[in-house]
Amino acid sequence: MILVPITYTGGVYRHDEVIDYIEDLGGYIVQKHEMAQEMVLQAFIPKDDIGRFTAFTKPLAGEVAESPLVGCEIAVVIPSLEIHHLPHSACDIAEYLRTVGAKTNMVGLARGFGKRISQLNDEERDVINEHDLAIYVLGNFETCIEQKFNGLRRGVNVPIILTGAPPLEALKRITDPPAAGYVGNLGRFMHRTRTEADIGRLDAVVEETARVLNQIRDEIAHDPLSVSPARLKEVIEDGIPDIHQVYSPTPVTVQLTGLRIKLPFDRYHDTIRSLPVEEDVTIGDTAWISPSRMRDYILVQIKPFSETHIVV
Amino acid sequence: MTLLDAFEVECFEETGRDFYKQITETVLSDHNLTAVISKLRIFIDPRIPIFVAVGTIRDAGAAVRISDIGSIQVQGNDTVISIRDETYLAQFLTRLYEIFGHDNVDQPDRFTIIISDVEIPEDFEKIEIVNRADTVLRDLIYAMTVIAPEGFKVRRESYGKRQFFYAASENTLPEHVVGDLVSAQFKLIGEEMA
Repeated sequence: MILVPITYTGGVYRHDEVIDYIEDLGGYIVQKHEMAQEMVLQAFIPKDDIGRFTAFTKPLAGEVAESPLVGCEIAVVIPSLEIHHLPHSACDIAEYLRTVGAKTNMVGLARGFGKRISQLNDEERDVINEHDLAIYVLGNFETCIEQKFNGLRRGVNVPIILTGAPPLEALKRITDPPAAGYVGNLGRFMHRTRTEADIGRLDAVVEETARVLNQIRDEIAHDPLSVSPARLKEVIEDGIPDIHQVYSPTPVTVQLTGLRIKLPFDRYHDTIRSLPVEEDVTIGDTAWISPSRMRDYILVQIKPFSETHIVV
Repeated sequence: MTLLDAFEVECFEETGRDFYKQITETVLSDHNLTAVISKLRIFIDPRIPIFVAVGTIRDAGAAVRISDIGSIQVQGNDTVISIRDETYLAQFLTRLYEIFGHDNVDQPDRFTIIISDVEIPEDFEKIEIVNRADTVLRDLIYAMTVIAPEGFKVRRESYGKRQFFYAASENTLPEHVVGDLVSAQFKLIGEEMA
């Protein structure tokens, strides 16, 4: 069964039926936003059932859209958290990606600015590596990006999308080894992105992110995961009631190949490890559980089939 | 940016130059400085690397007096000031405390100040609260810090009565190099460096 990420937008009225229907189809809810009268659901549903689901939601005036960015965690990496990058352009990019279903975290480097003096420390590197994808929001000069980019990507082993003001061809020319994706004509700017041209540039980021994510998904399909991250999320939500006391917007964040659980590692990792996914198969059998470098969260990385010879 | 008599950004990288032109326009208008600057020239060379901004300013505008901030009404023993423009309220209150003392100045709500039991000087309305010219050059240098590429932490800045310059780099550059660059930029806008 191939699960595809979708976004459902509709009213609050009878939304519990929509949730039930997704679960009956064998799908999973990744995130639920309830805003006044409106409801946005990010979910995975079986590919063959999209038509059926759309037909079901039609009388409720709901909209179903495929959104490839759902179910992944993206790091938006900026050279620093100063006024030079915030709120425009870094927040604009992070926020725009959220509107299409991605879960983005902003990683402001301590000393990422400058050409010669830019650095990446081990904590920043590890935090970036805990994501599915990193978007580097760099500046306006080709000369600077060429010199600093290799320093800022040292040790980062997740795919990187490089963005900057120089045109796409220039970015491609100056990066060696190549990055996973490029978005040109973005760079550092100080105004709010509201014109059509600005939104077009943000759309280019979304498009490139979707392309790279689909590539990663294709690679994962060669050696599938032992269990779907979305399923593991449900197992944890059912097995650990304390997760419902966490006030973070996504207490369990779904990634492409794992989960970030926002509970203290020391107190919960043993419980999580021994939670059964199915008879005789525990989470510990299907995934590596390690402390995250982000606060004291728990990082769950699902093992591939070749490692466990289990698919549940 | 039509208010500026001359505005130019020079850089050998065309894309970077256009982006910096846009950044400068946005930052100056965000900080209400477009009306203040007369000429501005920015030179950026990311190879050195260096960022130089030179310019001249217009008359920064008159002093802000109490009559510009609010209207004054005398009601018996009290003098009531209704605030129209809050921009300089903090400085205004400090000034009132200096003149009349804390005990006699009261601010019951955001837009009202009551001065009680003291005599109001005759030329009260004309008392100067702030002079924008004192702060405008500092504001200008701050705006330049925002415009300049972020890693350029080694800075040299100067502002006189009419002229200002701001040079920044991430390397320590010899004084004569910066001096030559700055005076060359001043020449290009038709000014002699003071």
